[in-house]
Amino acid sequence: MKPVMPDVVLAICVIAGALVYLYADASLPLMRIGDPLGPKAFPALVGIGLLISALLLLYEAWQKHRTTEVRRHRVDFRQIGILCAMVVWTAIYYSAFEYAGYIISTLIFLFGLLSFFHRGHYRANLAIAIGFTACVDLLFSQGLGVLLPTGLLPI
Amino acid sequence: MDSLHGILHGLSVAMQPTHLLYTLIGTFIGTMISHLPGIGPSAGIALLIPVTFGMDPATALMMLAGIYYGCMYGGAVTAILLNTPGDAAAVMTVLDGYPLARKGRAASTLAIAAVSSFIAGTMGVTALAFVAAPLAAIALHFGPTEYFGLIFFALSTVSALTGDSLAKGLLATFLGLLLATIGIDLQSGVPRFTMGLVELQDRVNFLVVVVGLFAIAEVSRMVEGTLEGTLHTVKVQGKLWFTREEWRRARPAIFRGSAVGFFCGAAPGLGGTIAAMLSYILEKKVSKHPEQFGHGAIEGVAAPEAATNADTCGAFVHLLALGVPGSGATAVIMGAFIMYGIQPGPMLFNSHPDLVWGLIASMYIGNAMLLVLNLPLVGVLARILYVPPGVLLCIILGIASAGVYSFNYDTFDLFMALGFGVLGYAFRKLDIPKAPLLFGLILGHTLEQSFRQAMTISSGDVTVFLRSPIAAGLLFCAAVSIIMSAWAKRKPREVLGIAPGAAKEQSAEG
Repeated sequence: MKPVMPDVVLAICVIAGALVYLYADASLPLMRIGDPLGPKAFPALVGIGLLISALLLLYEAWQKHRTTEVRRHRVDFRQIGILCAMVVWTAIYYSAFEYAGYIISTLIFLFGLLSFFHRGHYRANLAIAIGFTACVDLLFSQGLGVLLPTGLLPI
Repeated sequence: MDSLHGILHGLSVAMQPTHLLYTLIGTFIGTMISHLPGIGPSAGIALLIPVTFGMDPATALMMLAGIYYGCMYGGAVTAILLNTPGDAAAVMTVLDGYPLARKGRAASTLAIAAVSSFIAGTMGVTALAFVAAPLAAIALHFGPTEYFGLIFFALSTVSALTGDSLAKGLLATFLGLLLATIGIDLQSGVPRFTMGLVELQDRVNFLVVVVGLFAIAEVSRMVEGTLEGTLHTVKVQGKLWFTREEWRRARPAIFRGSAVGFFCGAAPGLGGTIAAMLSYILEKKVSKHPEQFGHGAIEGVAAPEAATNADTCGAFVHLLALGVPGSGATAVIMGAFIMYGIQPGPMLFNSHPDLVWGLIASMYIGNAMLLVLNLPLVGVLARILYVPPGVLLCIILGIASAGVYSFNYDTFDLFMALGFGVLGYAFRKLDIPKAPLLFGLILGHTLEQSFRQAMTISSGDVTVFLRSPIAAGLLFCAAVSIIMSAWAKRKPREVLGIAPGAAKEQSAEG
């Protein structure tokens, strides 16, 4: 069973998000060219739907809180830290994707990841990174006619 | 063209060498993907869509469909050998498959799973061919009011039946609908919720969302598995065939499972996991030895495997006939259809008969290919289970990145996919099902257009939805599905006492 608290936080976030969405919808220009509703009506219904589902979530959380014992789950900060680092590493890779080019950026990105998740096999990791990058580049550029960015490499 | 002629015509299309080759590639890749714990058909298809760029639509869709049913076929292998379902629907196969493997019956259990899948797949494709065309003929009379009712019903059932919480199912659906409203409104030309970003004016790229939400988010699951998991694989030993007694017990279970699976597939939102659960419950109820279930009953493998494969065909019924996906994976395939400029739905049988009948017929051929792949080659294919997960997750991330970039040649898509990957991780941690979001995103545009067209026709009179008997009936069914879901949530799981973690796998794929 999950603790109730995350659901309450989620519901509050959804309510806040839905209100922002409804505000943005209200700010849209009113245009009813051959359409009695215009572009604002459907998003308004979606925003209201989000609010209703958030309220239902709060009700479910309250019911769960009443009927079951809330257990605290241990948060694995090391795991979360690794995942965050991975997201940052991927974001850096994407930032360098066009500038450095697909081959260079992917090679460094993959070798970095493999060095962590497949530790102690440096030669194999390098071979996998080079082999994978070359295969995907060939597949996309030669096989599928999709040109991946060349970046710093003159090819 | 009637169904029988359609199948024969489709076989002539599907038997073309290029189509045969890509069907084989699709089924092979699907089988491989199913051997990767955590990566399901939606993620697999999404990852491979960029590879189909430049192909003709029929070839590409045959390959993508092959990946889908190949995934469902091969999901049993990890369930039996690794005690981990290769896809969400194989969760029931674990219960008896792994105990049988531990008893030294791994080879015969795999053989039963393969034969069950083949029979169910063949029955399912036949039913698909005979149901889809008449249904499409009926749907040709649908106007915007009926389409609104139909999509509303599909979204309601998906919200109500996916995941453990009705509120979270609804939340995911509305988030999907919210994403569908981003971009330039086609009727008025007004940019909506684009935050001034030019990249968002052309709407949120469906495939970027799918790759992020399924493929990249699933990498996080593999990271967790690498950091904490210990997987014990059972080796395949002995003759890869079953005994006469095993076949006698499995045979009726296969036929019952196929029927249950097809009906579950044809009902939007139920999906393979529920099909597998229902067929398992049914087998346990009709068995003379219910005490054997959970300890290695062959019927406990045959029925859910048949159900999941027949479900795959059922899910294609409303995708092809109505243009409404029946599962997360068919939603991704629908995205591929749209990407190729083809709108699935009732007109498809008239406008693209080669494609639709070729696709259906390719499933017969694909099923036969899968039987060959999954019987003699299972030992070879199972070797993928021994590839270190740390290497696999890096490769998946690499493929996903190259694929996403190739959609629009824009790094904005890459960042968006990463953002949806983080969202997918949050969804998993908060037990929010992903499939309803996908449904909302892909059907949101049609839902809004149907709604606005219906309101335009009726000059803004909301009762237009109640004046059409079909639309009113569908809206009534939608309300019933929501109320029923709130009334009795997830009963089958309680009956079976499935581990919550295993049951929640369904959320990932829907």
